[in-house]
Amino acid sequence: MNRSELESILKKARLPQPPEEFWEEFPQQVARQLNRPATETTRSRRNWVPRFAWATVTAVCMVMAFAAGHWRGSVVTPAAPAQDILANAKLVRETLAMFPNQVRAIVEDNHGLHLVLSQNGAVPTSPPLYVRVSDGKTTSSLVTFSGQEIQIAGQKMTVLADAQGGIILMGNDFVWSSDEKTDSDSHLKIEAKSLNLAAL
Amino acid sequence: MARMAPPDDERNWIQNSLAGDTEAFAALVKEHQKMVIALAFRMTGSWADAEDLAQETFLRAFRQLNSFRAESKLSTWLCQIAVNLSLNWRARESRRGEVHSTWSENVITETPAGFPDALSGRVQSALDKLPPKQRAAMVLTVYENHNHAEAAKILNCSEATVSWRVFAARQKLKRLLKGISHEPL
Repeated sequence: MNRSELESILKKARLPQPPEEFWEEFPQQVARQLNRPATETTRSRRNWVPRFAWATVTAVCMVMAFAAGHWRGSVVTPAAPAQDILANAKLVRETLAMFPNQVRAIVEDNHGLHLVLSQNGAVPTSPPLYVRVSDGKTTSSLVTFSGQEIQIAGQKMTVLADAQGGIILMGNDFVWSSDEKTDSDSHLKIEAKSLNLAAL
Repeated sequence: MARMAPPDDERNWIQNSLAGDTEAFAALVKEHQKMVIALAFRMTGSWADAEDLAQETFLRAFRQLNSFRAESKLSTWLCQIAVNLSLNWRARESRRGEVHSTWSENVITETPAGFPDALSGRVQSALDKLPPKQRAAMVLTVYENHNHAEAAKILNCSEATVSWRVFAARQKLKRLLKGISHEPL
């Protein structure tokens, strides 16, 4: 294949064509984003601190409210399993509803509950995933979404979900799959599942 | 062929946008949306990502419009924003590349959803396999019809670097697209 033949093939490739309404709507969609008050537009670095603080306070209040009903007087230690909190579909659903398409992760570890919000644009809508990682000393749990890179148990990982409901965690030096539940080289104990928010 | 707005119209829209007129900016979006979305799609291979990137391109352009120099073309400036956003997107996605390629081995090779024909899908798949900066060089020179000097300004590199990236990209694309019919247009 010579250069002009390659050029010919490349130029013959056409893009998917959306309906005509898309091209009418897109500029208006951009204009709407511009017309939103600054506090409602995509988060900027200078605005995230007070909103993150409110998010944390709100999330903690919600956790305390659920804890009062759920634990019925049980003592919570820093290393206590987080499953009871983040596996609570109602808590997760209400948190996500407060920050639509902005939540990258809800994390619980021995430092408490954290809400990680996107600062670079909307988080694509996808079913939430529950991940729990234990390194033998501490246990961390989080709810996140496919494609998010998160820090858990001292490790940076990318969380991915496939169409069959399998979950993959990719760290710097390991890969874990919910289908195979393997990674004999890692000292981490990992549990992951899709979170069904419709269930209560 | 799409009719381009007269230069005076575009200058007025820019001026009014600088004054905060979002409807004027929407007119600019309408004028350049197809180019920006097409570029973003070629860079990402995903319509959803292209739409998000295009929206982010225009939002960023609005915020930085006072830095746009009127002596250059708005379309080139938008190209630069879109390419840079796409390259940053690609850097985030590159970690998924190995896993996706593993999954894709089990995918039946038929016309990907949304492409009008198999050739278009195959070309996009081949573009997806290029390193991001080589891909950007090809998209700018083949699809946006920039010469190497213009592409170099957009990519903030030397013309020689663009030439090298285009050369390397062509070699790879020839291997990936071997066997496709190449009757002249």
